[in-house]
Formats: sequence, structure tokens, C-alpha cells
Amino acid sequence: MIRIAFKILLHDTAKYLALVMGIAFATLLISQQSAIFHSVMESSTRDIIEANEADIWVMKPSVETVDQPDQMSELTVNRVRSTPGVEWAVPYYQAIAQLRTSSGRTKSVTLIGVDDSSLVAAPHTVLIGSLNDLRRPDAIIIDAAGFAAILPDTPLRTGDIVEIGQRRAEIVGISHTGPSWSGLPRVHTRRSLAVEYARETLNPVTYVLARSASGRSPEAVANEIATVTGLQAHSRAGFKAKSQEWVLTYSGVAENFGITILMGVIIGVAIVGQTFYMFSVENLRQFAALKAIGVSNARILGMISTQALFVSCLGYCLGIGAASLFFALFSPQLTGGLRGMFMDPAIFIGTGVFIVCVTLLSCVISVRRVLTVDPALVFRS
Amino acid sequence: MPGVVCEHVTIEFATAAGPLRVLKGVDFQAPAGQMTMLVGPSGCGKTTLISIIAGLLRGATGSVSVFGRDVTSLSASELVPFRLANIGFIFQQYNLLAGLSAAENAAVPLVASGTPWPTALQKAGALLDKLGLAKHIDKLPRQLSGGQQQRVAIARALVHEPRLLLCDEPTAALDGKSGQAVMGLLRELAVHPDRAAIVVTHDPRVYAYADRVAHMEDGLLLKVEDGKTAALAGAH
Repeated sequence: MIRIAFKILLHDTAKYLALVMGIAFATLLISQQSAIFHSVMESSTRDIIEANEADIWVMKPSVETVDQPDQMSELTVNRVRSTPGVEWAVPYYQAIAQLRTSSGRTKSVTLIGVDDSSLVAAPHTVLIGSLNDLRRPDAIIIDAAGFAAILPDTPLRTGDIVEIGQRRAEIVGISHTGPSWSGLPRVHTRRSLAVEYARETLNPVTYVLARSASGRSPEAVANEIATVTGLQAHSRAGFKAKSQEWVLTYSGVAENFGITILMGVIIGVAIVGQTFYMFSVENLRQFAALKAIGVSNARILGMISTQALFVSCLGYCLGIGAASLFFALFSPQLTGGLRGMFMDPAIFIGTGVFIVCVTLLSCVISVRRVLTVDPALVFRS
Repeated sequence: MPGVVCEHVTIEFATAAGPLRVLKGVDFQAPAGQMTMLVGPSGCGKTTLISIIAGLLRGATGSVSVFGRDVTSLSASELVPFRLANIGFIFQQYNLLAGLSAAENAAVPLVASGTPWPTALQKAGALLDKLGLAKHIDKLPRQLSGGQQQRVAIARALVHEPRLLLCDEPTAALDGKSGQAVMGLLRELAVHPDRAAIVVTHDPRVYAYADRVAHMEDGLLLKVEDGKTAALAGAH
């Protein structure tokens, strides 16, 4: 009977293609928008993602999100280091600064000062130059997209001299990072230099990055740091979640993407549900004939479920394939807003589950009509 | 041998104007080994009666026995395999599955009974060959004429060798020549000592193919006569 189900399905090519394409389009819309939303949320915590050597972030109690730091005394680092359960702790500085090129072009940049000795939180991928070059005088590393923004029409290279906070800086490396929430170029340097570029006088830190000792959970150690120092301390995952929650609450990004994803869901449900329902209803007479002949409701249910699963799997594969192609094309780019965007495996799975559920739901609605159809219908002309 | 025996079959339907009694105590028999035609004007209850005999319409009073089995006492879940094993259908509108070839359509009852596809197709092909459709077994219904489609429907109705064949206006959608050809084939292949065949029709030109003709009117069985007598009367 499965063969008969496939023959009925594939016979009406136009409706079959409409079903598959409808499901593919819904899959594309839902998975792509969900993945972009997820990537945007990830970009809002770019600093936390990239400083993955540390599993604890310590900050002033007033801090709500990673992009809005508050300054603390450098002495805070030692207070964190002395807390039981901390393996190591390093200072981290972050600020917005003005960068000026030799041609006079100015641009705001996110200035990130990493620990002078360990270079913890320095960029992981350096396309041109070397991370060790960051130890040279006036050395900065800028991300590729930022380089293209401050020196347009210039090939990626090192050696250019710029000014940050009216102080000389030499580009010694080009890094590759995903987009940040602010969209500003990301300039990494040593913290001692960063505070000079930002024209700070009190040698502050904005965060203390720490690592929990082996066998201790970051959450427990963070709680201990908060208790001992009176500061705010979170595990890496906890601070990421807190920052993303702030973005979701205050930025409106959730509403914007939520509406798009919801539209995808509604379009998906409408197209898939309606087309499949119409498909089943138009074949009602054929199903009635099968029922009259003596095919049981259970077997007809199996036939319709097979049709639904087949079209949903095929449509899903096409849609998720198109979405994957989209990210495969744009994600590896060094510049552009879509660089570094990716589709989380959970979105692959979640979209698949949703599409199959929608198709099966419309199948259930259609099946009700088919199962309750009067087989005596076949005696009517 | 008694094939189908209906005694005092009555059924009524609820309508806006109140209950409508469609069958008013019908006593009807269709012996095995014979073709019985059920004739009468539109709305007299012919199709309702065969729907009850097939177990497709429930709620009738009286008794309906098909080869000794009282179908009115069978539950809905018992009726499904009963129909599959014992009844073959031929419909006015053929009701072939559009995506299936002639052979596949004819093989459906066998496949539904669990026969493997190759065996079912072989058996269906042989029957279609007898029906003169050897060259058309791979064609889809839309590639066949009305007469050819009805012959595929005959093959589908007989492929699993049912004990009861129910035909609802099998020639109504066909021209006179095709209708005669279909009735000839039905007569040749369907009439079997172990099988009862009931043909609902209001076409007097096909009465001659019947062994018995049962006349219905207004929910009642008026008379039963042999096919030749009915054909002669119909011709006049």
C-alpha cells in the first residue's frame, strides 16, 4: 500500500511540487532567520566568546551587559587572584576610542586591552602577522573587516601607522573575528597601551578574567569571588546569558526577528497545511474507493502519513540545503555583516522537528476527512 | 445456492422535512451462479440496497445475509476485511486510482489482502488479458477510453475472486456499443457457480444479460422476472 501512496502522491506533479516547494520555502525562512537571529545574539557577546581561556568574568555590580563596562581599580585583579578556587586572573580593558589614519580619516573603534604578559583574550585567528608581534611597542592588531573600514581599497597588510587617542599605533597583525554587536572595528592591544590610547590616568581595568581551579565549577568560584570582593562575578556562560538577556530586553531584536520567524512559521503552516489538506481532500474519492474495496482506516492512515513524511523530509532537505548554502557562501567572508554567521545544530534539528510536526498535523486534519468519508460516496456519480 | 438474501430490509434517513423511508421492507434474493439485475427509476432505492448489502450503509432493519453471513450483525471493523475478502465492486464512475497503471489498479484488492506486488500484478495482467487489455496494462486511467476503464474496474472487482460482485450502473457512463461489450465481458467472467452478481441498472438494453431482473419502485421490490422476459418487455 506504501507504493500506492507514493503513486497517488507523485501522480499529481503540480500539487506534489507545490507541497515540496512550500515546505522547502518554510524551512529556508525559519532556519535562515533563526540562524541569523542566533548569530546576531552571539555577536552581542563577541568579547565573551573570543576570550575563551577564561571561564569567569568579574566586574562592577553596575554592569548589565558586556558592551557597557564600568571601570575598576587595577588592584581588583589581586583580590580576585587571592580568592580560593581561582587558578589565575588577568586584567582586561575595553573602551571605545577614536582611530585616525595617516590620511586623516577617523573612525570609532572598540579598543580591547589584553593582559600584557599572558596575552589572554588576544585574537585566536591572526591572518597576517603574528600574535607575538603584539608585544612590540605601539603594536595593535585589527580585525579584517575593521581594516577594510578604516583603510578602504587597501589590501590587507601590516605596517600601517595610525593614531589612537592622538598616540602612535602600528598595525602589526590582521585578525579574523565574527561581527560584533556595535559593528565597530575591533582593535586588540596590550592593556598598558590600551589605557594610554584611551587617555586613562588611573590605569583601570573593566573586567577581570579568571580561570577556576581544576575540579571547581566556574559558577561556584564566581559566587565565592562575588562574596569575597563584593563585585559582580559570573561564569562565562552565565555572563553571556546575562548580556544576551539585556540585548533581548532593550534592543528590540527579539521582536524584529521574532516577527520574521513567526511569519515563516505561519507561512509554513499555511502553505504546508493548506496544500496537504487540499491534496488529501481532492483525493477523497480515491480513498473512499479504497475504503469501499476493504482497505482499513489504519492502512489509509499509514498511506497518508507516508505521503506527509516523504514530502516533509524532501522539502526540509531542500530548504535546509538552501539555508546551508547561504551560510556557506557568506559566513567565510572576511568583511560584510554576514561574516561568521552560522547555523547551530539545534536549529537544524529544531526546524526539522517543526516541519515534520506541521506536516503531520495537517496530515491529521486531512486524515479526519478521509477516515470519516462515507465509502458509499463511490456509488454516487 | 443462496448468495444474497435480504428480508424485510427497511431504512430511513433524517431530512429537514422529517424521516424519509427509502426502503420499505424489501425482500430480495440474488442466488449464486446467476446475474441478478436490480432495476427501477432513479431514487427507488437500488443503490441504497446494494450499499446495505455491501455493509457500506448501516442502520437498516431486517436481515441481510451474504453467503450465510449476516452483514447487519458485523461490526465496522469486521466489515472491512469481510468486504475485502468477499465483495468485488464496479462503480458507475470507475473510481480507478489516477496514479496507478491499469495492472496496478486491477491488483489493488490483492495487494490490500497482503499479496506481494509481483504476484498481484501477474494475476491482474492475466485478467486484463482476458478482458482484451493486454496492450494497455501499463497505461494510466486517463490514457484509456471509458469502456477500457470500466474493463479495468471489472478486473479489479474480480481479481481476488470474490463471492459477491456488486455493480452500480456499470454502463451508465458508456456509449451503447461499449456498454454492450462491458456487459458481455461481465456475463462471461463474473458469473460463476460460487459467486452471486448483482447489477444495478436502469438501462433496459442490458436486461438480456441477466438471469433474473428484480424491479424496484418507491422503496419496494415489485416483481422478479427472468432476464429474457424483462428484455422483451423493456424492448416494447
